[in-house]
Amino acid sequence: MSDFSSDNIIRRDPRAEWIARNRLHPLHDSVVSAGRGEVRGPSGLLRKNPHLVGFIGPNGIKRIDRANTNSSAIGGKKWSAPQDVVLPLHQVVNPEGYIVVVPDMVGGRLTAHDKDILGLAHKLAGEHANFAVVAVCFGESKETQFDLAGVDRLIHLFGSEFDGFAPEARLSALMQIDAQYQPQHWLFPDSINGGADLASRLAARLGERPATQAWQVSASKTVCRGASASTDITRETPKILMLLEECGDAIDETRHEALPLDLDGYGLDYWERAESRLVDKGLIAVDPNAIPLAEAEFILSAGNGIHNWDQFHECARALGATEGASRVAVDDGFMPRARQVGASGTWVTARLYLAVGISGAIQHMQGIGQCDKVIAINTDAACDMVKRADLAVVADSEEVLSELIKLAQQYPLSIDNVSNVNEENSDAA
Amino acid sequence: MILDWLLPALIGVLLVLAGIGAVRRMNLWRAGQAEKVDFIAGLMAMPKRYLHDLHHVVERDKYMSRTHVATGGGFVLAMALVVLVHLFGVDSKILAWALLASLVMMFCGALFVAKRRLNPPSRLSKGPWMRLPKSLLTFSITFFVLTLPVAGVLPDGFSLGVIGGWVFTLVLSVLILLSLGEMLFGMTWGGPMKHAFAGALHLAFHRRPERFGGGRSTGLKAADLGGASHGVAKPSDFKWNQLLGFDACVQCGRCEAVCPAFAAGQPLNPKKLIQDMVVGFAGGTDEKYAGSAYPGVEVGHAKGGADNIITDGLISSDTLWSCTTCRACVEECPMMIEHVDAIVDMRRFLTLEKGETPNKGAQVLENIIATDNPNGYSPASRTHWAADQNLNVMKDVKQADVLFWVSDGAFDMRSQRILRAFVKLLKAANVDVAILGDEELDSGDVARRLGDDATFQSLAKRNLATLSKYRFNKIVTTDPHAFHCLRNEYGDFGADALLSISGESVEVLHHTTYLNQLVKEGRLQLDTFKGGKVTYHDPCYLGRYNGEYEAPRELLASLGIEVAEMERSGYRSRCCGGGGGAPITDIPGERRIADMRMEDVVSTGAELVAVGCQQCTAMLEGVVEPRPVVRDIAELLSEKLKEPEKLKEPEETIEAEKIMEEERA
Amino acid sequence: MPPSVNMVALVSVGRHPQSGRSRRAEQDGRAVEMGMNLSCDIDGQLSVVHVGDSKEPVLRQYAGMGLDALTVLEQDSGLDVLPGVVTYLKETKANLVLTGVRAERGESSGMLPYLLAEQLGWPLVPRVAEILSIKEGEAQVLLALPRGQRRSITVALPFIATVDNAAKGARQTAYGPGLRAQLNVVESEDNTDDIATSWDISPAKPRPKRMKVVKAKSAADRFKAATAKPAGGGGRVMKNETAEEKAQAIFDLLKQEKIVR
Repeated sequence: MSDFSSDNIIRRDPRAEWIARNRLHPLHDSVVSAGRGEVRGPSGLLRKNPHLVGFIGPNGIKRIDRANTNSSAIGGKKWSAPQDVVLPLHQVVNPEGYIVVVPDMVGGRLTAHDKDILGLAHKLAGEHANFAVVAVCFGESKETQFDLAGVDRLIHLFGSEFDGFAPEARLSALMQIDAQYQPQHWLFPDSINGGADLASRLAARLGERPATQAWQVSASKTVCRGASASTDITRETPKILMLLEECGDAIDETRHEALPLDLDGYGLDYWERAESRLVDKGLIAVDPNAIPLAEAEFILSAGNGIHNWDQFHECARALGATEGASRVAVDDGFMPRARQVGASGTWVTARLYLAVGISGAIQHMQGIGQCDKVIAINTDAACDMVKRADLAVVADSEEVLSELIKLAQQYPLSIDNVSNVNEENSDAA
Repeated sequence: MILDWLLPALIGVLLVLAGIGAVRRMNLWRAGQAEKVDFIAGLMAMPKRYLHDLHHVVERDKYMSRTHVATGGGFVLAMALVVLVHLFGVDSKILAWALLASLVMMFCGALFVAKRRLNPPSRLSKGPWMRLPKSLLTFSITFFVLTLPVAGVLPDGFSLGVIGGWVFTLVLSVLILLSLGEMLFGMTWGGPMKHAFAGALHLAFHRRPERFGGGRSTGLKAADLGGASHGVAKPSDFKWNQLLGFDACVQCGRCEAVCPAFAAGQPLNPKKLIQDMVVGFAGGTDEKYAGSAYPGVEVGHAKGGADNIITDGLISSDTLWSCTTCRACVEECPMMIEHVDAIVDMRRFLTLEKGETPNKGAQVLENIIATDNPNGYSPASRTHWAADQNLNVMKDVKQADVLFWVSDGAFDMRSQRILRAFVKLLKAANVDVAILGDEELDSGDVARRLGDDATFQSLAKRNLATLSKYRFNKIVTTDPHAFHCLRNEYGDFGADALLSISGESVEVLHHTTYLNQLVKEGRLQLDTFKGGKVTYHDPCYLGRYNGEYEAPRELLASLGIEVAEMERSGYRSRCCGGGGGAPITDIPGERRIADMRMEDVVSTGAELVAVGCQQCTAMLEGVVEPRPVVRDIAELLSEKLKEPEKLKEPEETIEAEKIMEEERA
Repeated sequence: MPPSVNMVALVSVGRHPQSGRSRRAEQDGRAVEMGMNLSCDIDGQLSVVHVGDSKEPVLRQYAGMGLDALTVLEQDSGLDVLPGVVTYLKETKANLVLTGVRAERGESSGMLPYLLAEQLGWPLVPRVAEILSIKEGEAQVLLALPRGQRRSITVALPFIATVDNAAKGARQTAYGPGLRAQLNVVESEDNTDDIATSWDISPAKPRPKRMKVVKAKSAADRFKAATAKPAGGGGRVMKNETAEEKAQAIFDLLKQEKIVR
């Protein structure tokens, strides 16, 4: 049902078919070998020429590739071309009610968390007749796929008053939306990216008791985590919900209208009435080494195999990495104790852990257990760190680090650029 | 002659001055806290303690022991006779000859003291101590000359002429003054001879009288909780007999020579610490201290007073946190001074009152309080290591012959290998064993050494409450630290009330002791170890704290291993650096203690070092490779355990033994 | 003259994540720490307030941070703590409230500071990492953002700050001072929490882990999805390549992981 694009329509070429059928035709060979030598019988059925199936293998024996792994080499472009799937459109005409989602939009894009919540919003909307899912988006947006994420209506509020850190201005906008559209539910991500903050402000202003850390929601019942995620609280579904990640399944089978929705008074001096008592002075440039080790996203960690410490520090600077160290490097006084990674140092959660000259004592491996990807640079191919690593390089650290520094310097880096911090977070999320 | 009245007068005056000094000194000690001491029994026991127990320690340095017997013995005898002969004028040839003899003995001793001082090792304090041999020689010569007439060797009327007589008298008077000044006045007014006076009383009123007569007393004393302050903040917070003990120090520096922290360049020197304590309760500064400083700390800036906070200007808290509580200094001290007690007392103040446990200390203590283990693991995961071990849990069986105290090694992946090896051995020997499972808590060792006695006491009481629910004959543990707590420190909280199945008191054993029993009973059949040279590292808490030096060595011998002993082994074993919370407080030094210990191992040429402690295993394995392999004795035994199938078929076993015998031959 | 900054730190009973036992709540402890440091740096005084049972041993752990006294608004558990706190803050003329973002027990909704702000009409500063200065009634505050990033804002007193985990950790608690600290117990009004009484509270069920959903269009795709090895399962080891190639491989992975862009 998705194959309606023009590329996929099969057009018959009766002449070519005729020539293909006639082995004595002077053009037969070229027709057969062109394309895939597609041959159709008089009834239009596809005919297979068994002589043309397969290829001659390296030993001169004919091979038939049934898994079709090399199909692109043989031809059949038509079938292997990326298919632009057009999903069916979900339309809500004259909605009778609204479910409003306020996504985090970290870096101007919907996060996976936001998409899960939009999915959940549709699940809730489905329990009512003709409800629309509204997304409220503040400031500049880079998101191009609101329609695929399940946004029926979009309230996009531009304006400098919403930029940066502006919870008070955003709250007054939400109050306006609440007054004008009286949504059935307000859904927020229960996140550290501002979702929980805004939701709490709205709940306090509206005098509603929100469900926080909710993870199982239906129209009537909500299950929330309580007591630092050690209890489940089952309660009636309230108007305002702060939702955990993976609370619902993101929309992936429908398209949505993402029609803009007006907000009364928008653009008027209404917004200026919102008294802004919190004055944003902007993001602060943070030295990667000032980030606590446990929080750092990318750690360049040094062990006994490092001999050129200046180079190591330079490499960390060039890559924008937070520095870590093995116990031995700390004991030898090359790195401060606070930088020690491992069971007796800091348990780290980095997405990427680059271990240079660390063979991987058991305590160290315990400490990096939660890291997503590990890269090892080590001279000993048999050491535990190489076994653990997703990418291991068996080499002297000094050479590889100097090459890495070169690569990093050639590459335009954005780590130090504060304006890109948000973007970075979006990808981290 | 003038000397006839001048000599008794001088002796008398100096004796009186010494008496005044003694009272003054005693008043300094009395600034300390009250402590119940059996004065009469102590004084009665003092000579034996001096002659036997103390001599036993001094005897480790044969040169010094003989020198001291001659000098000290000679002096005590001579002084008593001087009082009789010269002060009271008892006219007895026999006494005079005895005096001459003792002075000769003292003279000989003093010569050796002087020889020692010609090129003294760095551990000895210099300063006034350099003058002591001269004073000793002066004393012996002067009184020898003075006694000659009394003994009748020289006639009474011996004359050197008028001027000669005056000069002679003057010279003698000055010499008398110098020597008696040092020997009597200096004894109670703070000279080097103070050690004799304070030392004698220290031996009499020692805080741990159990240490005399071959006993062992190593458990820390419990802190009083709930008062206006905890631990020792000021010198006057020490017990009075602890202050007395500090005064007994002879500054021989034996403690300094064995201290692992000093050797590693951490800011600790046990000798300086004790001298600083003296500066503390006597007031003043450490300017006159003439020995090695704390590494990296200059001498002369420490100020103290009996009511001044010790860590404000007298010593830095880093000094206190450098100690590994290995007790090497206490073991070596010829005056039986208790350095570790004093250090932990002061740590208690820092932790319980100031909340200043350095580095990871605060976190570790918080974890122990909230999870009953130092690393904050879930208490419910304590038995995970034994998931495949099929061990009985006390909660189910209620009673067993042996209670296996697992200790916090249960959470550490390396230590778990030791635990599993030990369980394998217990099973092979068909021991009726059970563990406490999740009911077990941290023994409190780390909390106590870090000065948090409140947490230690809470853990001890809760552990004892658990233990008292069940019946067992023995507690066996692979962790010497837990072993020490259970055996020596839980007694203050009612451990003695634990009764075995048959109603006797429960035995607490280290796993090497127990395994040795099993091997001797023939319940474990072992193959011969075939590997390179093996040495054995004595864990401090097994050896010095509990006196178990033999069982591990016998076990190694039963594997056919001839231990290549390190120079520092047995009671002189060097610490691995893992005790006393030292890895947690982590005071920087120039070297790591574990590295130095591994150098000791390497110098024997051993390829494998056997240990009996998970902490030592962790510390020694932390040394960068290449280095000798580190194995717990339980691991070595379990690797060489004969398979049970073979045991079932005696013929084969006999054959195997025959073959082995042939091999040996 | 009363101090210009009258700080109140609200503390609750925490819960150790592994043992579930009571402890100082992580963020509340940081709030007390922040208050103690501020009261040294500026002309201000700090009072620490707990609502609940005055016999709770954890209060001694807070006091052990070096507090002379602690105020307890005595109340049974399960009641609404808000009215008591509002009354107390009004009575004591507090102008800066420090507290954690979320409690570690109970509902842990994190709503209390917001409700307080709403009732008092004060601004709320969320997730504070550090209060840099308070001068002439205006505070310069650093907010904690994910992965160690910071935002600077200014706000005028009075305000409520919730303290993030990125703030300076709570100092060690000492047994002795904790034991000797004075507890000022204030009887508090009882306000039942009507909504919460209808809730059903049970131990947390483990959440199902989301599986990788494969939307396959053909049998071959489904077969592939079912049998394919997870990508990157085996580590790649580079031995004989040149240093440039090795570095390039590492750098490519960094790019792929969007560590560098």
